[in-house]
Amino acid sequence: MESVTETRAFLKGNEALALGALHTGMNAYFGYPITPSSEVPEVLATEFGNPQYPGFKVFLQAASELEAINMVIGAASTGAKVMTATSGPGFSLKQEGISYAAGMELPMLIVDVNRSGPGLGNLGPEQSDYFQATKGGGHGGYRNIVLAPASVPEMASFPALGFSLAFKYRNPVVILADAFLGQLKEDLTFPEVPAPKFDVSWATTGARGPERHLLLSMHLDLPDQARHSEHLRSKYEEVARVEQRSESLRTDDADVVLVAYGITARLCRRAVGTLREKGIRAGLLRPITLSPFPSKEIAALVERGVQKFVVVELNMGQMVEDVRLATGGRARVETVQRLGGLLPSSLDLVHQVEAMAR
Amino acid sequence: MIEIEGHYEAKLGHLPTLTSKPTHYCAGCEHGTLTRLIAYALNELDARERTVLVDSVGCSVLAHEYLNVDAVQSPHGRAPAVMAGIKRMRPDLLVFAVQGDGDAVSIGLAELIHAANRGEAITIFLVNNAIYGMTGGQLAPTTPAGMITTTSPRGRDIALTGPPMDATKLVASLEAPAYVKRVLLPVTPTPTADFYNARGSIEGARSIQNAFRVQEMGGFSFVEFVSTCNVNWKMSILASKRYATDVLAKIFPPGLYKDKFGVEKR
Amino acid sequence: MANVAVPEVQRARVVVDAERCKGCDLCVVVCPQRNLHLSDSMNRSGFHPAEFRFHGEKGDCTACGLCYWVCPDFAIAEVSRWKA
Repeated sequence: MESVTETRAFLKGNEALALGALHTGMNAYFGYPITPSSEVPEVLATEFGNPQYPGFKVFLQAASELEAINMVIGAASTGAKVMTATSGPGFSLKQEGISYAAGMELPMLIVDVNRSGPGLGNLGPEQSDYFQATKGGGHGGYRNIVLAPASVPEMASFPALGFSLAFKYRNPVVILADAFLGQLKEDLTFPEVPAPKFDVSWATTGARGPERHLLLSMHLDLPDQARHSEHLRSKYEEVARVEQRSESLRTDDADVVLVAYGITARLCRRAVGTLREKGIRAGLLRPITLSPFPSKEIAALVERGVQKFVVVELNMGQMVEDVRLATGGRARVETVQRLGGLLPSSLDLVHQVEAMAR
Repeated sequence: MIEIEGHYEAKLGHLPTLTSKPTHYCAGCEHGTLTRLIAYALNELDARERTVLVDSVGCSVLAHEYLNVDAVQSPHGRAPAVMAGIKRMRPDLLVFAVQGDGDAVSIGLAELIHAANRGEAITIFLVNNAIYGMTGGQLAPTTPAGMITTTSPRGRDIALTGPPMDATKLVASLEAPAYVKRVLLPVTPTPTADFYNARGSIEGARSIQNAFRVQEMGGFSFVEFVSTCNVNWKMSILASKRYATDVLAKIFPPGLYKDKFGVEKR
Repeated sequence: MANVAVPEVQRARVVVDAERCKGCDLCVVVCPQRNLHLSDSMNRSGFHPAEFRFHGEKGDCTACGLCYWVCPDFAIAEVSRWKA
């Protein structure tokens, strides 16, 4: 692909994500190739050494996703902005490292370009890593912050958002994309993002005088661990209070609200238009943060009188549980699922929602 | 005989690179000795303020409690990858880890070999006591044939589990590593058997300093310390030193396996 | 032992931190002059700590430092020489 010298481009989602990360001053990338995410390291390998990105100091293809996440831990411990990208099977391998990173409170970006599963699956888009990304995935009690882009411009801008959240809260941030979005080509303009500097006084870059820095996730003394976990818990509560993000389309006067993220949100946007033409007052709520889940927005919709939600997702029913929880049992929550890497057409969705609405 | 206070000058004494915390290591364990030798080397290099220790998992997991330097925890076996991430980002730091044979030769073998193959400018000290110490004495890839462990209660059966694995030879077989050494660290019995030789500690101290020097010259350094685990081997402390000398040193011969920069000749 | 000269002032000495000692015996068996032995008393952890005596069975302490190099526990806190 041509090197981007101006800010306007026509790119694949994966390419936009890689360049977006560079634009926001990413320092290091470690990763292992896996379809459908491999364009990310390929673009970064090509751009390595480009004087346009002076902060990009390290690019290394690791021997496995396991090695990659641990290299990320190492680089992140120096206070650097570090990213890795993968798909489902690789995301599974990274869980141990992510758990350690969460325990040590290390900022980092992990991109999962969700493909079909479980196991080897196929290369079609799914949203079946939702639980894994939002509910932990690794062992022990922790939460990722999870961002769900739904367009190539968002693939480009979410690394900046991701790093700022990661450093603000000293927590891993997952960008949960999908195979379709990774390969989708769209027109975009790279936003002018400053490459901000974050407070990294906690970094282990050498003891200063009698003080030294420790990045540990081990607290053998039980009360110590309790205190540490309480600190993590209050952090996650703060994130849930402050960082919920979503986008609403025509929900102000909707009778039925579709809830979808990523590529399915794109299809639902179309479906909402068609449904409205057919006289059904449909709206769309698109979560942007999957963790923290935008439950406040859903509760507000229920409060306003929305009686029906239709959750559209590419899995056996994962986000629907969060929607049900957020409605507090005070609205009906239906589910539309597609499996195997298949996408519904917006017309399929219209028919299914129509049937549910009547 | 008079001892006059204030007129004795410490030749060997307090090290600012050691904390004052008593160790959790078993009595007689080479982990303690090695920790002390590393602290000495770091002090000689005046490197405390530019050193990062990566904790591995095993008896070495608490190394940061005793070494008074910055430290980052690593998941089991992953220390070479964590070290690579740190060093690539900050080549000015002195980055090292102490790994046990479970950490480096079992679960972390891939990470070790790949870091070595890339010639990462890091230093790895492998404490090989041929068993899993911290978890209570299970079979390790390095356990000799016939040794009784909690997961090989009838003795290690080579036909079932393969022979003991030689990490030093594996690492030395790669092109990139610059310094690969194996040291028999425990005290060794002399023919009179009532006096023990401390050659291992002296050789160990030298090897550690060489290894750090090699890192500063940009090379990958690896030193395996053949050690003991008397508690899990179910031997007395001195018997375990004899076992290391008579049995382990034959399976894992000490020596200089690679010295690309010729640091040992200096 | 009777033939070993005993000087007026000790050339060197070893300071043992008895509370850090685990009685592993390694310093005892490496000291060429037999200047260290495990005492009968116990430290707080229940070990018999090493004890230094000037002028052991085979002669004076020479500050060779072997005890310091082998001690796994930082119980050999200091090896020092007489400074004239």
